[in-house]
Amino acid sequence: MKPKIQALLFFIFAILFSVLDVNGQEHKMNYGKTPDDMIPYGRFQKAYINFFDKPQAFTGAGREKAPPTDLTEVRIGFLGPLEGSAMVPQGIQMLQGATLAVDEANKKGGYNGLPFKIMPHNDVGLWGAAANEVVKMDDEKVWAFLGSIDGINTHVALRVTFKLEIPMVNTGDPDPTLTETRIPWVIRCISDDRQSSYALVNYIYRKKGHSRVAVLRVDSRYGRVGILEFKDAVLRIGYPLVLEVRYAEGDTDFTTQIQRMIDSSPDAIVLWGNAKETALIIKQIRKMGMKQPIFGSDRLMSPELLKIAGKDAEGLVTTCQYNPTLNDSALQAFNKNYYDKYGMEPDVFAAHAYDGMNIIIDAIHKVGLNRVLIRDVLTDLKTFQGYKGVTGKIIFDASWNDIGSIWMAEVRDGKFVFFPPSPLTYDKPANNKSTSE
Amino acid sequence: MKTTIQKFAAGAKIFSLIILGGCFLGFTTDVNKSDLEVPATKSIKTDIKKELGVMPVYGNWKTFTKEDGLPADKAFCVRIDGERVLVGTNAGLAVYENNEWKTYTVEDGLAHSGVISIDVSELTGDIWIGTLGGLTRWSAGRFYTFTQFNSGLPNDVIYSVVCDGKDVWVATGGGAGHYDTYTEEWGIYTERNAPMHEPWTYGVCAGGNKIWIAAWGGGVIEYNPKTKGFRDYTDPDGEMEIDLFPDDGVVHNITTGVSYADDILWVGTYFGLSRYDGTHWKGYFDHDSGLISNFINFVKADGSVVWLCTDLGLSSFDGDTWVSYQKDKNSKKGKILITNDSGLKEVDAPTSISHNFVSGVDIQGDNIWLATSKGVCRGEKLK
Repeated sequence: MKPKIQALLFFIFAILFSVLDVNGQEHKMNYGKTPDDMIPYGRFQKAYINFFDKPQAFTGAGREKAPPTDLTEVRIGFLGPLEGSAMVPQGIQMLQGATLAVDEANKKGGYNGLPFKIMPHNDVGLWGAAANEVVKMDDEKVWAFLGSIDGINTHVALRVTFKLEIPMVNTGDPDPTLTETRIPWVIRCISDDRQSSYALVNYIYRKKGHSRVAVLRVDSRYGRVGILEFKDAVLRIGYPLVLEVRYAEGDTDFTTQIQRMIDSSPDAIVLWGNAKETALIIKQIRKMGMKQPIFGSDRLMSPELLKIAGKDAEGLVTTCQYNPTLNDSALQAFNKNYYDKYGMEPDVFAAHAYDGMNIIIDAIHKVGLNRVLIRDVLTDLKTFQGYKGVTGKIIFDASWNDIGSIWMAEVRDGKFVFFPPSPLTYDKPANNKSTSE
Repeated sequence: MKTTIQKFAAGAKIFSLIILGGCFLGFTTDVNKSDLEVPATKSIKTDIKKELGVMPVYGNWKTFTKEDGLPADKAFCVRIDGERVLVGTNAGLAVYENNEWKTYTVEDGLAHSGVISIDVSELTGDIWIGTLGGLTRWSAGRFYTFTQFNSGLPNDVIYSVVCDGKDVWVATGGGAGHYDTYTEEWGIYTERNAPMHEPWTYGVCAGGNKIWIAAWGGGVIEYNPKTKGFRDYTDPDGEMEIDLFPDDGVVHNITTGVSYADDILWVGTYFGLSRYDGTHWKGYFDHDSGLISNFINFVKADGSVVWLCTDLGLSSFDGDTWVSYQKDKNSKKGKILITNDSGLKEVDAPTSISHNFVSGVDIQGDNIWLATSKGVCRGEKLK
């Protein structure tokens, strides 16, 4: 080969190697798909170290361990709010979605003729119950587990997961910090609040041109950690929140908080909380005369909110981790099968649990009954990279967080209408409105 | 013209090779691999000794596994109790005494057979055993168990336990707990009554007349028993994905362990190591120091030396010199990595630690004991 061609080829390969994402992502991008102008301290100081450029390896022993020969079933754990929590309806949906996946796998012969069996555990109970429940799962000899929804319980479970070395697949907790602990035993198959926040910031500030936004959020980890990325992002693009006020879970009267919002003259409102309380807030906001557009977090995309808020919910825009109305044959089949089995429409927790459980089952089929090998295949960023589930395509980053596409939904004529968010812009903010509407 | 292009092509090839080589093979500059192996005897070559200064170095490793009497190969922690060695495994508490292993399990009275933390009371000689199902006190040959159901224990998963005089402190998934052995009363410290972000705690130690708590996600919590006051130390940049400045505070809020000795607090994280002298913080990472891995499972300070149990081996540091121990994946022999101002020196050793995933360490005179993912091992101090 001629030297010129050799050199050219070498350069091409060098460039390819430098731009290809070794972790299997489609495009090399900032951590968490963060736009350049929303990088922490990006305008002022380059970080000394970035922690999530590469996946954390698990170097412990256990890959050599032979599978047991006396099994009668293949157990998979489930951790979720099943009793004693306001999140029980979501927990039940999650369990049903996971169970549907297991039932379908068993109809196909299970694992080498052994049926899969879900071992359900309630994450609500004594202080730190999730930790004790994961220990019970270990005693039950589960091969992996799926869970949970609440950020605190999921974190508590994750910590024990590492000690006990049980692969954990999360399909319901959008807390960004869950996959930021570096524990190499968890993957998340649902978009997190970071993605929701960036989509909302883009939509509210850049597409709609708002600049004075007030936040009313639930005083829980979901509200506190969820709004963090939103708050940081708007600060970095030059539009700090005009107000952030909180309410307690279970509150029904929000007059004080809404009056404070009125006094702050926002041109848009963001609500971050559970569907029921937020529906009441929306009604009271309109009753007190605020006409500003309302935006909100993923949990607002709920029939419960539509039912309680009624006409006042018109125009509400939320994020959603998938589009349940998409014309996709696998999704529609899932929707039908779920309805046929349970007599109800699946929600976001059911759909993602269905995908997550199918990933666990696939992983077991691929590597057999060895927890470390199951972990390895779940986290290799190849086998399940780009996994096409009923919720869409799952793209993992180096922290095994799902940074695949997110959706937005607007309430129109009493229904959620879904639309994809605008691509995240990397430009400076547009010349936004500076006065309240 | 042709010659110019050829020169350019040759240069480009070399440049590309450097880039690609750097990407795929990693930089190995400043590594001076010694051809002088650490011998099987209890001595170390003079030139290596000069590099070490006062740092102890260990060799002649002996591994103990199930075949030697351990209840399981996977060991979580190790604690010295005089002539005895106490090891926490996922199948019970193993005690090494008079060259024999004896195992204690739930049948003997342990709260759970998963033993993940151990401490010995200097005051009473009692052994406090943190398990995955409660806290067990081993006193005068009998086991007494504390759980959430029968006591004020915050949670049944005891990641860390430390005895401080009459007081016993635990770090659990449901908060930090304090047990006064005189009054037999429990106190629970969570985000509701202490400056923690969440109730999760992972490590606890005593030192400088204070209690130090590694609060998972909340940095380090300092508790002053005299004033009953708290103070928290968090990563000043407040971001999970970066450390903005290495020496501005704890390197990350996800802390995994704390240890205090010689007026220095050492904080282990999965992101690097922090040192706090009461005024200044300093951060150490695998790319800028002799720390063998940023993923620190356990930290123990002993005098002027700190021991770091990581997922890639054991590191030790005295403020000037780093000494790390690894098992070579292929030869199964040992490697000693010495890092100081003059660079990195790699020394081959005929024996190695039992596994590179190290979870616990303790010192017994001239011996060092490690708990690893595959077995327990004992090293002897080389003279």
